[in-house]
Amino acid sequence: MKFKKKTATLVSFTVGTLLLATTALADIASKSGYEELKDSIKLTAEQTSEKYDSFTMDFSMALKDNGKTIVSNNEVGKFDRKNSASESLSTGLSLNGDKRSSQSYSDKTTVIHTSAGDPTFYVTEYTKERKEEIFSNPFKEEEAEDLEKIADALVGSLKDHVVVAENSDGSKALTGSLTEVQIPSLINAVASFQLKQEFNGNGNQESSMPHLTKDVFVKEVTGSAKVNPDGVMESILGTAILSGKDEQGTVHEISIEALFKVKDINSTEVSKPNLEGKKVIKNVAKDYSDSEISNPEKFIGKFKNDIVIEKDGKFVKVGERTLDITKMDNINVAGRYSETFKQGFENYASDFSELAFTAQIKKDQRGNADFEGTTKSGEKVRGNIYFSEYDGKVNFNIDNMNSPYAGGLMIDSSFSPDLD
Amino acid sequence: MAVFQAALLNEIEKLYRKKKVLVAILLSLAVIVIGQLVIVGVRSGFGLRGTGSVEFPMLVLSVVVNTILPLFTALVTIDSFSGEFSQNSMRITLTRPISRFKIYTAKITSIVLFILGALLLLLVFSMLAGFIFNANSASFDSLGRTVFSYLVSILPMTVLALGIVLLANIFRSGIAVFFISILIFLAFKVLGLLFSQYSSLFLTTQLDWYNLFLVNSFPLAKIARQFLIMLGSGIMLFSAGFYIFDKKEF
Repeated sequence: MKFKKKTATLVSFTVGTLLLATTALADIASKSGYEELKDSIKLTAEQTSEKYDSFTMDFSMALKDNGKTIVSNNEVGKFDRKNSASESLSTGLSLNGDKRSSQSYSDKTTVIHTSAGDPTFYVTEYTKERKEEIFSNPFKEEEAEDLEKIADALVGSLKDHVVVAENSDGSKALTGSLTEVQIPSLINAVASFQLKQEFNGNGNQESSMPHLTKDVFVKEVTGSAKVNPDGVMESILGTAILSGKDEQGTVHEISIEALFKVKDINSTEVSKPNLEGKKVIKNVAKDYSDSEISNPEKFIGKFKNDIVIEKDGKFVKVGERTLDITKMDNINVAGRYSETFKQGFENYASDFSELAFTAQIKKDQRGNADFEGTTKSGEKVRGNIYFSEYDGKVNFNIDNMNSPYAGGLMIDSSFSPDLD
Repeated sequence: MAVFQAALLNEIEKLYRKKKVLVAILLSLAVIVIGQLVIVGVRSGFGLRGTGSVEFPMLVLSVVVNTILPLFTALVTIDSFSGEFSQNSMRITLTRPISRFKIYTAKITSIVLFILGALLLLLVFSMLAGFIFNANSASFDSLGRTVFSYLVSILPMTVLALGIVLLANIFRSGIAVFFISILIFLAFKVLGLLFSQYSSLFLTTQLDWYNLFLVNSFPLAKIARQFLIMLGSGIMLFSAGFYIFDKKEF
């Protein structure tokens, strides 16, 4: 009898352990619909950014209040990875009821833009060939993996709501729907608060957006996706319904719908718009992305700005600041800084009113340098100088500039070229 | 069977006389009251609806099943085993003409009944609060799902109790068992989050398995797997615990 009891205990322990081990393994091996969805999104991003020669992406969204469209947007992007060309067409209805549409084209050397409101074709030509990736894979970014972990944790038990149905040709349909009972209360509260703030934030008086104040909650979230036999997502549709009351107590059901499609894989043709007979404004683009300014000598010379104070409720010019750049060759910078005051305001002059400085532009820091200077009395001064090619100005900042400037002198570190 | 019934009655009587049960009931009610106050606060303060009548019991369940319910299950279990070991009242129980298996089973059954009672109490009161204080959002379907969610939560809680029974039989001191259980519980929770792929191995994940019954499509395969995992670990923990309990000398 004693022996029998021991055996029974051991057998049941073994059976339990085996049962646990096998089902746990099966559970780990089984892929949830959520995993399949994630894999397919990743694969789609990878294929479109690395493998397909050309494809078309179609994204549309609509925001409806009780069935009436308030905002809508449609973007069609055609990408030709082989020739690094892309074309995009965007149409939509904005919050204040305006219809808009615009079109743009881009390849290695040109960017063309036009819109329905302004039928001029703006053409920008690049002297150097641009080396831009036409579509980059967002999952290759550094943070992607961490973000994925956070997303997994947030989705938590909702993972099981994604249902996969496999068709006979190998393509798959993924669907999921969540109603209010199934959405965890905390997620529902945070999401509805976020959406409420978002909607009410841009709701000015004329806007057609209802102003929700009471009983806001996420009523329903549904989604469906089609995955082709290769595992690439062909389309994904998501809908969310937010319910709430406005100040008058009227119930609003705001629905947000978004549809994303990938189509015409390897058969998309990107064509340059025909500019013949159209109004065209051309300009040649400068490349600001280089690590060095292309002709630094242009900064040699005088730069000026006004010294202004506020006196008796008015702005009064009391003098001028002058920056004289004597040397500039993308590495070494030298110059003088001086302040001249008008008669009657000379007592504003300080120790910093005249100084000579030198600076070295650090590698890859386009036009930006820390300088070191000496004042007339031999004191050391530090600061920063920045040559802005974009607006043709020089920024000159002395560290701790605020302290010696008493008497309401206005600080202005931006100097314009003195061309007279 | 009559012997087992007597042992079970004896255990329930012992459980019932403890203050812990009363505290558990009071705390459960406190959770409902506080939860409802928070919802009302959110509603008037932020203009959100918070929860509807059916979502409120689900909110209560999601909080309770991960906090006070495991905590009181642990306390009651430790009382029923470690407490009796140290008070030597176990000797008195064992001197009666009843097998150790029956005592062991009776003790576990009484714990399961405690869990069931706590869940039913929470269900009734949270539903009452839900219907009185929240906008009606009930449908026959969602109501049924809510009741079912409460009822199925008894399974993972039982497995948890069995785990604590095993610990209570390994370690003598009740306090040691309590802290080890809490540490393991927290560790499993964290591991389940970090390795979400393997989360079904950690028994704390199953505490949320009632969510599976809320899914529209009713994922039968997943439910079956989770059920078998719980069954397997339940049998394993039960027999391991009994093996030690049977060998123990008092």
